[in-house]
Amino acid sequence: MRTILQIISLLALIALTLPSVIFLAGKMELNMVKWLMLVATIVWFVTATGWMWKDSGAEDQEAS
Amino acid sequence: MNTEQQSQQAQTGSEFEREPVPKNALLGFKSFIGMYAGEHCAGTELMIGPLFVAAGVSAFDLVAGLLIGNALAVLSWMFLCAPIATRRRLTLYYQLEKICGRKLVTLYNLANGVMFCFLAGAMVTVSATAVGVWFNFKMPGLNDVYPNSIGWVVAVAVVGGLIAIVAAYGYQTVAKFANVAAPWMVLVFLAFGFVGLRHFIDATGTEVGSLGDLWGLAKAEIWEGGPPQEGQVKFTFWHVMFFAWFCNMAMHVGMSDLSVFRFARKSWYAIASSAGMYVGHFMAWISASILYAYQLHLNPADTDVLPGPLAYRAAGLVGLLCVIIAGWTTANPTIYRAGLAFQALTPNSSRFKVTLITGAIATIAGMFPAIAMKLLGFVALYGLVLMPMGAVIFVDFWLIRKFGLQSSYAELSGKTFNWAAGLAWFVTLATAWVLVRFAGVQIFFVSLPGWFVAALLYIVLSKIYQKKFRPVAAE
Repeated sequence: MRTILQIISLLALIALTLPSVIFLAGKMELNMVKWLMLVATIVWFVTATGWMWKDSGAEDQEAS
Repeated sequence: MNTEQQSQQAQTGSEFEREPVPKNALLGFKSFIGMYAGEHCAGTELMIGPLFVAAGVSAFDLVAGLLIGNALAVLSWMFLCAPIATRRRLTLYYQLEKICGRKLVTLYNLANGVMFCFLAGAMVTVSATAVGVWFNFKMPGLNDVYPNSIGWVVAVAVVGGLIAIVAAYGYQTVAKFANVAAPWMVLVFLAFGFVGLRHFIDATGTEVGSLGDLWGLAKAEIWEGGPPQEGQVKFTFWHVMFFAWFCNMAMHVGMSDLSVFRFARKSWYAIASSAGMYVGHFMAWISASILYAYQLHLNPADTDVLPGPLAYRAAGLVGLLCVIIAGWTTANPTIYRAGLAFQALTPNSSRFKVTLITGAIATIAGMFPAIAMKLLGFVALYGLVLMPMGAVIFVDFWLIRKFGLQSSYAELSGKTFNWAAGLAWFVTLATAWVLVRFAGVQIFFVSLPGWFVAALLYIVLSKIYQKKFRPVAAE
């Protein structure tokens, strides 16, 4: 499960960046770029939270 | 525990705070790369990049200044800070206490806390500009000092209040969220740059078929190098280089990151700071500056530096989220650390209350746009104020015994206020003030001579002071 989440979140980062590269090449409309970035952002936060949050320490200890 | 948390705990001094870090708690090289890349891609980058453009910087001065200045910053971490950190493995505060005494460290904490408060205020300002895009109230201009609309005050109060409450209740949760957000944020900054470049290509009708064409566009349209905007200082290569070198001066030359690198197995791990410098202080600054340059290209009279609208134009909702998250995730630890610094003054007070009060001060500071709009000068001041203590630590560790003097003098003598270190700090700052106020030297350039002044003063004053008050061990 963890590996799947990592792969999806990696793909989300690619999907976040690629539209702006294609826009720079003049092959995509800005509105489409914004929508794709938004979708990629949602996918990133959902999937990355699934594995990175756990990495950050399961116990939510109060800073002392 | 994750590295960033550990590092942040290290910075706040909550772990091994009065003992050297043991071998089994040391961290690998990779840990430091992640931490630096995340920490230096923050909300304030969205102000600093545009302010370079407002300062009339040219393309060559910007790129060359950032390349060299950031390299000097990395070298400062590698050769000034990390070697001491990995030899002593103590927090900055404990090391300072040994040298300066508890009372002088308390004063240092106060100065640090105040600077952190204002820095957090600038981060709140950045986040609040995103709220302005949604609610369309009047936002501050480049030269505004005071809040200029009720909407602005309310937005900053809400954003700052939320950040303060979250920092007081769930600092660690936000720290974890910051870990998740960091890679996303870096790539959104990169996307800002790509989108901004395309806007320029379209707006100017430039044919870009090679890197040479791109450089031509950069020189002629993006960073033209003309006069600065009204009220701004003209930035040359030297300004950019010294700014890039010293904007984190408190951390490297000022030795604040002793607390971070005490966890490093080897001192060369400090090269990991280059991830932060060249991602945050090169790519992110350049990207953000392109967005502002495009705004000026469309309407030269629209000089407002407002990260929210700039990011929204480039990336829509994602841009706004980036501004809010970048401001929030960096203001959170800043308010928390400021709270810790203030708490050292009143150790019996509740950390929760102190953090809330600190957040309230930062929020009020954030309402005054002058801090964010003059961020280049403020960041230089922040480094300058804390730098002399870095020089004191450097001299105390490497040089002082060569002059027949005692290292860690306060610890040996039982003094709570080492006047040699204290005067080295105050006189250096006074000298810098005189240079800026009366000799016309800009604040960006006083820190380098200031370091040597502080080092020299500490040696000379220690000669006098240690002769007068000889520690038992020295007799």
